[in-house]
Amino acid sequence: MAISETPLAGLGRNAGAAILILSSLAGGEKHGYALVKDVQEFAGVHLPPGTLYQVLARLESRGLIVALEADERRRPYRLTAQGATVLTEYIAAQQRVLKTGQARLKRSWGVA
Amino acid sequence: MIDDLNDARRATRLIRWYPRAWRERYSEEFADHLEQEFAVRRVDLRRSLNVAYKGLVARVDDFGLSTNAVNAGGQTRAALGTSFVLMALMAVLALNFWSWAMLMWSARTYHPIPVDATTGILTVTTGLLLLVLVAMVLIVLVSAVRQIVRGRGRRIVTPLAFAVGSVAFLSYSVRWLPNVLARYSHMFQGGYRWTHPGPAAYGLAFIAHRVTQPWISMWNPGISGEPTSQAVMNDLAPLAVLVFAVAMAFLARRVELPRIGERLGSVTVVLLSILSGVFLLTLVAWFTAGGPIYAAFGETGNIAGVAYLVFFGLVTVLVSRSGLLARKNESRYARNHIEIVGSKIV
Repeated sequence: MAISETPLAGLGRNAGAAILILSSLAGGEKHGYALVKDVQEFAGVHLPPGTLYQVLARLESRGLIVALEADERRRPYRLTAQGATVLTEYIAAQQRVLKTGQARLKRSWGVA
Repeated sequence: MIDDLNDARRATRLIRWYPRAWRERYSEEFADHLEQEFAVRRVDLRRSLNVAYKGLVARVDDFGLSTNAVNAGGQTRAALGTSFVLMALMAVLALNFWSWAMLMWSARTYHPIPVDATTGILTVTTGLLLLVLVAMVLIVLVSAVRQIVRGRGRRIVTPLAFAVGSVAFLSYSVRWLPNVLARYSHMFQGGYRWTHPGPAAYGLAFIAHRVTQPWISMWNPGISGEPTSQAVMNDLAPLAVLVFAVAMAFLARRVELPRIGERLGSVTVVLLSILSGVFLLTLVAWFTAGGPIYAAFGETGNIAGVAYLVFFGLVTVLVSRSGLLARKNESRYARNHIEIVGSKIV
């Protein structure tokens, strides 16, 4: 499934950041700064604060994540069932692309 | 301790780039997040630019032209406000264009049928457009005054003051109008017969043209013999129209509208988009049919005609988009409401 066919459509250039955030939240609920640290750790990408909160707001409005009660000023976010479905479908689509690419590289170039 | 205080101030300053609805929802956690980032790296120009840029994007999202607004419940109000600003500017141009077309049309005895038809449609569309805008202004202003009288007007006083101030300025800039009206209403001196549709339309077109032409030709040299103060006021009038429209947009978003006003919000925006679309199409048909001022507007190289069309097209697209998004959003909210009510019954 392409991003254009999912609720991630409309995120434009931020679709990549959205996938990173959904992937991070798949491991459990996190607040903004913990999300940035986690994404930095597993993907090597630093999400700037403006981008992070823009994407969080859009994911929340699409019902893919939900904001939990704030702990002092920090508000954790949790992946919703719809968010988990979208992430699963996206990863499945990416795996198909990965497998096809690997198979073709192996057949034509003997690598991968 | 001082560093913490400075970080909090820096975070607050950066968050000011974001619209009110966004700040109400995210400012606490976002400020906390920024303070944690400051603790790791105190100065980072790219980070500051990122926050400022995303703040501006959030402001654009808040205009009712995007599905990404944080305050989705206020989508209709935002659409109303943005459409009013666009349509108010369009109305000035439309009124000027129509008045000129009508004056030229009246000066000739024969016109091809398409020119007659398109001039008629332009007249009706311009009239309806003005009626809708005036109705919006009246509803919003009456609601604003009522809200202030009830002691709940803290957030609307400033835009109301700007709206009243700009209207006062515009009224002063056309203070010669009553004299002109009196002169041309006097039948025995060859004035207009307001009771007859033809002369009345011509009279209205004459007045509309006298009022709007100096606004349209802003920053042009003044009319010979005109006082400098009047020329300056004419130059500032378009800005006053813009200030008025923006003030009305703020009021439309903040004022407590009557229930009927709330219900008709998205319908009004859709109606405005239809009127602007009809005006644009009729304008194109009018040019194609060779209307009497085709030579002035339609010739290749005459930038005025092209600019008119591009502006009207842009307004039509933007207002249509805001209207459709508001309708879509309203139906989504209505559906959610039914689901919530339904779940309570069960």
